[in-house]
Amino acid sequence: MSKATIRYLILYCLLLPIQVIVLNRLVLFNCAIPLAFIYLLTVLPASFGTNRSLSLGFVTGVIVDAFMDTYGLNALCCTILAFVRKPVLHMYILRDEEQTVQPCDMHSLGMAVFLKYNLTMSLIYCAMLFTVEAFSFFDVKRLLLRTVASTIYTFVIIAAISGLYNSRREKRL
Amino acid sequence: MHELLQFFIRNSKWFVFAIYVVLSCMLLFTFNPYQHHVWLTSAGQVVGAVYGVSNNVTSYFNLRENNEDLNRRNVTLQNEVLALREQLQTLREKYTDSTDVMPMAHHFDFIVGHVVNNSVMRPYNYVTVNKGSDDGVAPEMGVIDQNGVVGIVNVVSPHYCRVISLLNPHFRLSCKIKGDESFGSMVWDGKDPRFAVLEELPRHTVYHKGDTIVTSGYSAVFPPGLPVGVVEGNNASENDNFFSLKVRLLSDFTTLNNVQIVRNNNMEELRRLDAENEKTEGNDNDLGGK
Repeated sequence: MSKATIRYLILYCLLLPIQVIVLNRLVLFNCAIPLAFIYLLTVLPASFGTNRSLSLGFVTGVIVDAFMDTYGLNALCCTILAFVRKPVLHMYILRDEEQTVQPCDMHSLGMAVFLKYNLTMSLIYCAMLFTVEAFSFFDVKRLLLRTVASTIYTFVIIAAISGLYNSRREKRL
Repeated sequence: MHELLQFFIRNSKWFVFAIYVVLSCMLLFTFNPYQHHVWLTSAGQVVGAVYGVSNNVTSYFNLRENNEDLNRRNVTLQNEVLALREQLQTLREKYTDSTDVMPMAHHFDFIVGHVVNNSVMRPYNYVTVNKGSDDGVAPEMGVIDQNGVVGIVNVVSPHYCRVISLLNPHFRLSCKIKGDESFGSMVWDGKDPRFAVLEELPRHTVYHKGDTIVTSGYSAVFPPGLPVGVVEGNNASENDNFFSLKVRLLSDFTTLNNVQIVRNNNMEELRRLDAENEKTEGNDNDLGGK
């Protein structure tokens, strides 16, 4: 197992419990919730196979669903997110660069691209999640508010986590 | 054949994607929360254990408020006990020998539990409690806290159970205004965790702002007369024959901590009666059809 894989597994084992135990309870103004666990999907290497990332997305979604009692909601959204990951990434980097960005983190993508990429992914995820969730009682204003608020919140937390995780790595090197 | 295989391999990501989406949708569109598989809910062993551990820390939050609530409830109950005792005494003195004041077999038992996980901001909220089938909890038992009704148990594992919160439109609670016999059904409208709506209340019902809403006791899940909320006002959306009232809930769902699970000892009997009723009704219909 390569060093990068081990580092990813550690991140997975840290971030998922943090999401379900801590972040799920940090609801702001009754409308914004940080869904920072999607960083586990966005950080995957650009060359990571779509099939594998789909499986990983589905499993992650099912785990989060079990904790949040959303039953299938996050599984669906994570699967779609894993599917659109590459197209979104290709909006910001060239195909030739794919091999150079091993994990898609702040370090290898560069600050600007990393932030744009994660903001897009957060927006896609939050929009999807709240739209599917609010299917039965549709209140557009509240839906938009929740989506925008949660997107920003998620994005800020992801940036913070990524910053922390990378600064630790750099110190070690 | 070879080309077909090649085609599948080349487009495998679409097939994998489709399979996962169909799987998730199958989970997502199980609208009946009683059909949820225990492993995929917060009542599952692993999830429950994780929440149990984190609850060891978080249960210390809001202790002061919880204590105050419990004290207040204690005082109310003590007053009630004293009043009832006095009443019993007077009755005994009045009809000395003619009646036996026997203690009635009590219908309801309470199992005390702690909330280990809870949500209030989703459209469908659930509560996880650290009592399961080993403690005698079964699906369709009511859950209350010191202030009022919390929800109804729906998924049970040996050590944990998941409760459909009152803040979940899947749950409708039969309620009435205290001191009035006409009843309606309480449901959450998905907006504010502090308020719910009492629907289908007959139009002739007299109510005032500040009236207490209590359980009607028609469902056998909750004992009659349990407080649920306080009338806040008339809801704007009303139809012709029924009132719908905005109700401020007495339980604070954001700081839920100690709860009691209500076990109805006559549940089995009632269910059997219901089943027999349905069977005879079915037979009657058959006869009618012939």
